[in-house]
Amino acid sequence: MFLSDFEYFAPKEAGEAFALIGRLGSNARVLAGGTDLLLMMKEKMIEPQYLIDINAVPEFQGISDLPGKGAVIGAATKISEVEYSPLVKEKYFALHQAAGELGSVQVRTMATMGGNSCHASPAAETPTPLVALGAKVVLASATGERQLPLEEFILGNRKTGLGEGELLTKFILPEPAPRSASRYGYIGLRGAMEIDAVNMAVNLVLETDGRTVKDLRLVMGSVSPRPLISVEVPSILVGKQFDDALVEEAAAAACGEAKPISDIRASAEYRREVVAVLARRLLHEAFNAAQEV
Amino acid sequence: MKQLIKLDINNQVYEVPVSPKDLLVDIIRKKVGLTGTKKGCGQGDCGACTVLIDGAPVLSCITLAIACQGKKISTIEGLADEQGNLHPVQQAFVDYGAVQCGFCTPGMILSAKALLDRIPRPGELEIKRAISGNICRCTGYKKIVEAIGAAAAKISTGGVE
Ligand SMILES: Cc1cc2nc3c(=O)[nH]c(=O)nc-3n(C[C@H](O)[C@H](O)[C@H](O)COP(=O)(O)OP(=O)(O)OC[C@H]3O[C@@H](n4cnc5c(N)ncnc54)[C@H](O)[C@@H]3O)c2cc1C
Ligand code: FES
Ligand code: FES
Repeated sequence: MFLSDFEYFAPKEAGEAFALIGRLGSNARVLAGGTDLLLMMKEKMIEPQYLIDINAVPEFQGISDLPGKGAVIGAATKISEVEYSPLVKEKYFALHQAAGELGSVQVRTMATMGGNSCHASPAAETPTPLVALGAKVVLASATGERQLPLEEFILGNRKTGLGEGELLTKFILPEPAPRSASRYGYIGLRGAMEIDAVNMAVNLVLETDGRTVKDLRLVMGSVSPRPLISVEVPSILVGKQFDDALVEEAAAAACGEAKPISDIRASAEYRREVVAVLARRLLHEAFNAAQEV
Repeated sequence: MKQLIKLDINNQVYEVPVSPKDLLVDIIRKKVGLTGTKKGCGQGDCGACTVLIDGAPVLSCITLAIACQGKKISTIEGLADEQGNLHPVQQAFVDYGAVQCGFCTPGMILSAKALLDRIPRPGELEIKRAISGNICRCTGYKKIVEAIGAAAAKISTGGVE
């Protein structure tokens, strides 16, 4: 398995990267961690003429806290940096969990946050918690920048709203609400190096009484071409006191909303069952954690 | 379209002609001549091609050589000290019989070293997680995990067990 020829650029600042993408257009591909891109190139699924390596651009790197306002994660930030970040663990636990489950140590060292969302695999690890946490993406080009909620950016299997000449430069996460907690979970066929059969994230906010659900987002991955935000689960739980009967109802509703396919990794029936199991588990975990903060 | 680039491998700088499409594993093995790094699947799954870049384990079969300029690359050949004394992880693999055919061993040892540099006294689960991207076709995992645990104990007690 060898790669076809291409020209390689490694811009050192954002402006240079935007100029290159603008000039080279659709003959160019962005190289971040390369863990999806180089495999697609080896398989000759794509044969770009130019690669623009964005790893040397400092503006696209790192995690910064905006106290009281959230956090910003650069698109070229490695998954391992997110996994090990005390800030992410403290404020965005579901993302911390998902980062730790992506691939192997080696893959996490190489792969980036931006690459995971831009590749837009329905089974991807981090878009699910990011959407649950209310993340926005910043898309920028030589002529300006715009923001989109991540769920509007990922359009389907390997389809995104990235425009010609645009780069994903960062993720903006809102400050977690008081008395809130987020949890992530997945079910695959093995413990390690697994492509998820189903993954899910829950972000739950409690009222001051510590029992009533004030706000809730439940997002499912791998059961639809793009991250699926449950409409029914919040409508069952928000404004109500959290209890087991409602959780059962919510789990059944999530199951009904999931639109899984059967493939080599799992049948649609199995996936739907698993949705109920994960929903029940994560709702309880998030509720218990939110009571403690 | 070849160009000369400098690669710092095991603290030695090599000047090698590469094309942008050349993968780090092929350059290390064929141009530099360090064949300890193995190429298994060529698609990120097996970990045989693991090398350390700036101390962290990466897969050289899906890394462009040209993207490694200015970085510190370590391969299995660079682990022993100047006198040829094996690194404690290497020694433990020998002592615990953690090597069968040996194909996964260089990658396995580099993953283990990176773990111990980050977490000096890992638990069994942390060891297993750290090598979950390194597949051993001979499946000697039990001895590999024991060897890594023993190396950790040895390093953190300053060489005496
Ligand atoms: C062995 C193995 C195991 C894996 N396991 C998992 C897993 O468990 N879960 C999971 O979710 N994924 C997994 N992956 C897939 C992959 O590692 C992730 O999707 C990863 O996050 C991709 O990031 P990258 O930086 O390597 O992207 P790249 O491969 O560099 O890029 C991916 C795509 O996004 C584009 N792109 C990247 N960054 C930007 C940007 N900033 N702006 C615009 N376009 C951009 C590229 O042009 C390319 O089309 C695995 C891969 C391998 C090889
Ligand atoms: S050869 Fe690189 S992971 Fe298998
Ligand atoms: S010793 Fe043979 S592959 Fe591990």
